[in-house]
Amino acid sequence: MQRGDTALEVTDLRVDLGGKTVLDGAGLTLRAGELVTVVGPNGAGKSTMVRAAAGLQAFQRGAVEWMGRPLDAVRGRKLALIRAFVPQRGRVPDGVTVNDAVTIGRSAHLRMLQRATRADQKAVNRALERAGVSGFRDRHLSTLSGGELQRVQIAVALAQEAPVLMADEPTSQLDLGATVDVAKLLRGLADDGLAVLLVAHDLSLAAAVADEVVVIHQGRSVATGPPGQALDAARLREVWGVDASLEMAGGRTALHVAWLGR
Amino acid sequence: MILRRTAVLAVGLVALVCGFAASLALGAVQVPLHDVIDALLGKAEPGPFKQIVLTLRLPRTVEAMVVGAGLGVAGALLQGALGNPLASPDVIGVTAGAGFGAVLILLVFPGSIALLPVGALVFGLAAAALVFAIAWTGQNAGSVGKLILAGIAMAALFTAGTTSLMTAYPDRVQSVIFFIAGGLTSEGWRELEVVWPYLAVGFVIALGLIRPLDRLALGDDVAASLGARPRLVRLGAGIAAALLAAGAAALAGLLGFLGLIVPHVVRLAGGTASHTFVVPASAVGGAALLVAGDTLARTVRAPIELPVGPLMVVIGVPLFLWLLRKAV
Amino acid sequence: MRRLAVVALTAAAFAVIAAPAGAAAPKRVVALTPFTANTLAALGVRPVAIGQTLGGRERFNKRLKGVRTLPMSHPNGPNLEQLASLNPRMVFNSPTFRKGSVGIRSLEIKVVESDPHNIAESVAQTRRIGRIVGKRKQADKLALKLLKGVANARRNIRDRPTVLLILGVGRTPFVFLRNSWGGDVLRNAGGSLLTAGRRDRGGFARISDEVVVAEDPDVIIAVPHAAARDIPSITRYLRSNPAWSTTSAVRNKRVYVSTDNSLLQAGTDAGKVIRTVRRKYLKNAK
Repeated sequence: MQRGDTALEVTDLRVDLGGKTVLDGAGLTLRAGELVTVVGPNGAGKSTMVRAAAGLQAFQRGAVEWMGRPLDAVRGRKLALIRAFVPQRGRVPDGVTVNDAVTIGRSAHLRMLQRATRADQKAVNRALERAGVSGFRDRHLSTLSGGELQRVQIAVALAQEAPVLMADEPTSQLDLGATVDVAKLLRGLADDGLAVLLVAHDLSLAAAVADEVVVIHQGRSVATGPPGQALDAARLREVWGVDASLEMAGGRTALHVAWLGR
Repeated sequence: MILRRTAVLAVGLVALVCGFAASLALGAVQVPLHDVIDALLGKAEPGPFKQIVLTLRLPRTVEAMVVGAGLGVAGALLQGALGNPLASPDVIGVTAGAGFGAVLILLVFPGSIALLPVGALVFGLAAAALVFAIAWTGQNAGSVGKLILAGIAMAALFTAGTTSLMTAYPDRVQSVIFFIAGGLTSEGWRELEVVWPYLAVGFVIALGLIRPLDRLALGDDVAASLGARPRLVRLGAGIAAALLAAGAAALAGLLGFLGLIVPHVVRLAGGTASHTFVVPASAVGGAALLVAGDTLARTVRAPIELPVGPLMVVIGVPLFLWLLRKAV
Repeated sequence: MRRLAVVALTAAAFAVIAAPAGAAAPKRVVALTPFTANTLAALGVRPVAIGQTLGGRERFNKRLKGVRTLPMSHPNGPNLEQLASLNPRMVFNSPTFRKGSVGIRSLEIKVVESDPHNIAESVAQTRRIGRIVGKRKQADKLALKLLKGVANARRNIRDRPTVLLILGVGRTPFVFLRNSWGGDVLRNAGGSLLTAGRRDRGGFARISDEVVVAEDPDVIIAVPHAAARDIPSITRYLRSNPAWSTTSAVRNKRVYVSTDNSLLQAGTDAGKVIRTVRRKYLKNAK
């Protein structure tokens, strides 16, 4: 895939969950070499949209196209070779090391009873390096901290070596330092040519790393565009109901909030 | 890492081979070793020794290996698919169903005793089918919690049925005790001939599920991301486990302990939860444990035969506790 | 005057002697085991109720027809309320339901446990039961009749075949040992029980098929809990058991099934049972 090619196109998506319409008229476009963050208040439908696009959630109306092909045409292993999804909170099984877990991420490339080859091993090593977790590759997952776990989850997805990376709030468990590390990692991946789609809670982080921000409000995409545009003061007041503004200057991004109102 | 796994497998295989030999050479009647070998090579004269080795001990040893392997694999499949260390064939209702089917024949239709393995198989599979039907329909279809709850409820139902039957026929109950305690019988190849297709299908499905089960380890979302279909894998694991456990119960009564403990022993010994190791190792471990237990059951108080179930617990639990203490 | 005094004294003497004898003959008796029920019937005593296990096939004396039956189940045996409502003076119970005996005694009813395991014990128990219900003379006669019947049945035994006598079917053989009713009957009929050396508390033992093959019985008799109509299918099943295919019993087609309980439960007709066993199974009648 070349930089700028459309990797993912979501149009007019409708998802009903448990009798309620969670999404209606949501959409986004993701291109190679781009990092798009999806933001919105709690319950707006951000995670649902990204999961539906990833093929993990059924949708009632609308279209999802991967590299120009509809979702139904690219199922199972084929989809696994196109996109890697990092969930918000993965399972932490006993008796599994970091190396084992990242090797599992390789399984989309392995046929039924095929053994892992040297190339697969190399891919695992690359993924471990990139996510910065090679240092504890032999430790059991159950012994890792929240931050270490989240980086391992990203490593698992990287082992898939898919051109698209989707992550649902990948920094929710991280402290400031670790969040900065992950932010650099994700931005670096996009700069290397991957298409990265993030769901984020933290608006200043979202603005800092993204090429494009998609704002979801009450199940609809209400704004799409560069961070400064999509997250202007008017939007922040309309969607989140707060008096705030985004400032991006001198390599720093800050969200100025009138915490105590007037 | 790999070295440890290979060592564990090697130890298991050695134990299995020794158990196999011991099971053929030892029993209630002293058969000289050269007679045992002659019988196996087809050189023996017709007589009680040949009969004992070829018609009593050989089929029984093979049954013990097959049942032990089947239960070990069934437990490994379910623990992997349900992501729960307490999972075992009992949890999907198979053991209780098979018990009910067998007790029904033993107590209510003693004239149809030849159908005992069929009864156990049919009811064991029926119980599992009911559990899957409940768990895969309606809200939250195919979720782990629903499956476990349905299994527990169904097991309770069939166990109640069994207990009621036993209360209704108190003077016939003793013929049921041996089945419930779990024990193999020396009836030649007769029972194995009926049951082997079910076990074979179960083993084949299990083989195909080894990789997919590993993909479930990190949760359903990651599994789906990798192109696996977690619910289908879970259903497949349930079906294979049901076939293996129902077949095992038809041959050897209710041996619940094996399916639960052997995968844990294997995981603790090998230091890994990867199914490419755990499933085959559970097969070998389960077979070795049951063959050893059965040999002991036949020799410890000869000519009286003890039921294997309690004896295996006596062997298996100390081993398990020792490993548990050593584990991280 | 003196004559009157003698008569009065004699009458009083009789009254004194007769009274305890009358008190020793309780009118209302409940017999919870088939053996005690049948023995009482043979002694001419009609119990107010007899016990019958659920799904059991006990054989009862014809004279007990119409007697109320109390269903027996674990753990107490009869329903204690039903039993109490009958107001019995005495109950004959089986040690199997010992817990029930405790309960019955707490109702201030006398309980006697009786459970003969072999013919000698059944004779002794017959005498004991007779003494308890005040029919000592009849009981002694009955006991004598029993012994004579058994002695007659044991005459002219030419053959002493090895017999495997098992309880139930399928799974591992559960054999009758010497100290069980069926084992004793077989022994008296001239049969040599497999593993005759063993004695077990319960009278039964679960032995290995290897021992059966090694000891090669001439006759195999199974006593399953089944109906008479199941005999052909059970016989077929036993004959086709591969484990026993080399035994003389299977090769000579001497595999039998007995469903009438005569080998399971102690009876008052041991002589007849022995003769039947000889004729039907052992084939060593003269």
